[in-house]
Amino acid sequence: MKVVKIHEDYCVYCHLCEAACITEHSESKDIIKAFKYEEKPIARCETVFNYPLSLSVMCRHCDDHPCVTACQNGSMHVDERGYVIVNEDTCVGCWMCIMSCPYGVIKRDTRREKWGLSTKCDLCPDREIPACVEACPNGALTFEEL
Amino acid sequence: MEIVIIGNSVGAINASEAIREHDKTSDVTIVSDESYKAYSHPLLPNLIINDVRRSDERFYYRRGDIYSSLNINTILGRKALSLDIKNNLVNLDDDRKLHYNKLILACGGHPFVPPMKGVDIEGVHTMTTIKGADKIKKDLDNIKRCVVVGGGLIGTKIAEKLAHKGIKVTVVELMRRVLFPVLDDKGADYIHKELKDMGVDLVLGDSVTEIKGDSRVREVVLSSGKSIKTDAAIVAVGVRPNIDLTKGTDINTNRGIVVDEHMRTNIDNIYAVGDAAEAYDIVIEQKRPVPIIPIAAKQGRTAGLNVTGTEAEYKGGFPLNSITIGNTSFVSMGTVDSEDLEILSIQKDNEYRKFLIQDNILKGIILVNNIERSGMFSWMIENRFDVSWLKDTFLNSDFGWQYFNKAFRMLRLDRKIM
Repeated sequence: MKVVKIHEDYCVYCHLCEAACITEHSESKDIIKAFKYEEKPIARCETVFNYPLSLSVMCRHCDDHPCVTACQNGSMHVDERGYVIVNEDTCVGCWMCIMSCPYGVIKRDTRREKWGLSTKCDLCPDREIPACVEACPNGALTFEEL
Repeated sequence: MEIVIIGNSVGAINASEAIREHDKTSDVTIVSDESYKAYSHPLLPNLIINDVRRSDERFYYRRGDIYSSLNINTILGRKALSLDIKNNLVNLDDDRKLHYNKLILACGGHPFVPPMKGVDIEGVHTMTTIKGADKIKKDLDNIKRCVVVGGGLIGTKIAEKLAHKGIKVTVVELMRRVLFPVLDDKGADYIHKELKDMGVDLVLGDSVTEIKGDSRVREVVLSSGKSIKTDAAIVAVGVRPNIDLTKGTDINTNRGIVVDEHMRTNIDNIYAVGDAAEAYDIVIEQKRPVPIIPIAAKQGRTAGLNVTGTEAEYKGGFPLNSITIGNTSFVSMGTVDSEDLEILSIQKDNEYRKFLIQDNILKGIILVNNIERSGMFSWMIENRFDVSWLKDTFLNSDFGWQYFNKAFRMLRLDRKIM
């Protein structure tokens, strides 16, 4: 199963992975509209920095997926591709997945009126190569078998 | 093979799913005295105030008809009364006898009602099942004032929801703070403030000794001698494992049904999981019941695999809690209040971080408001990870992968170390 492999030595902390992720998960999938006119999605990948190190981190889609185990109503689940994704329609934002994720890659979206929404990498179901990998100018993210 | 599972919630469903991964042919039967699909217990307070409805998908533990898709028989609305472990039989309340080769006890817990007078009066409620929640919901029109007995996870959540409905709520908690086992004084103060801001009255360090009323609840009397006028009392002191089924059998019980690392009881073909079970706690290094969803799920899966002959081991769990009251979210794990452990903590702006460490092994944490990446700490607790070289960075709000040693980080992120 392919996931995003992280090559921290090549990361230049340009945040293009995040920009591409936001665009891909926006309503229009257009970078200008996504950033200026629509409700901006939360990036599923996150670049972290501690000089001279930087790297982009996102869901590892692990086999034992503690986030799925912890979910109170089956919203966090494994899809037909074998990847771990959130059912946005049923997530209640209890954050039990965040408390369980050993990689710390699930984020809180608290902008919905009633229910919070756990937000994480879905490995771009509409694309062959995830948006962050395609956007990385330096080969710091690649899409391959681990 | 005939497999019987008693209970129909997180433990039972995870066991069924694990069984079907390896065994498509055995007869699997779920028995439960509740006649619903497995549902999400943490949403019961939301159910009371119609935040969520029984027709909503999000109220249920799985989408669609999981029982037919897994080919599981169900006997719902029937109670298992007793076990005949010599003849491998479960006696149901309709005189049926179910034969099993393997039995999984996933029978959950029941609300603990502390000794006090007047618990049978109309308007006294408990709230751990749909039935209990429905009863409160029907009574809601009669409730202008409500006393919640117990300021635990369920008690504070129900107080929040009722206050949101405009009901005047008083929480009576025996200890000096709400959420006693899962927060320390500083952490609980955030929740005290949230509850007070919602108009909830807090009575701490006191307990209800008597509920008074004739046709329905009129007031509660506290051990301090004070009394509070109220229209209803919701008892949310905690849950106790359901161990009644094991009475009169040789199955070992303590507070819960005692199990080994395979979730097996002392009887070879009987397993126990979830709120009913008493399994190893990796933080306090002894067995105890920990009634939380992630543990029930993991134990259910472990039992299910072992039932099919696929060796699986339960490493041990520990309390893990995540809850939001008002605008405050917090996560707490393991031991959260101790004089004997090394403590790192910081309180700044709206954020509180606390870490409890013993011989460089993380034993517990509290994170208030900044709960991001908290799972990285649960990984450390679970794996008894040596934090000596890393703990200096725990108090940073942005704690994350950038603080790890490079080789370790790369191995973890490449999933070479799980």
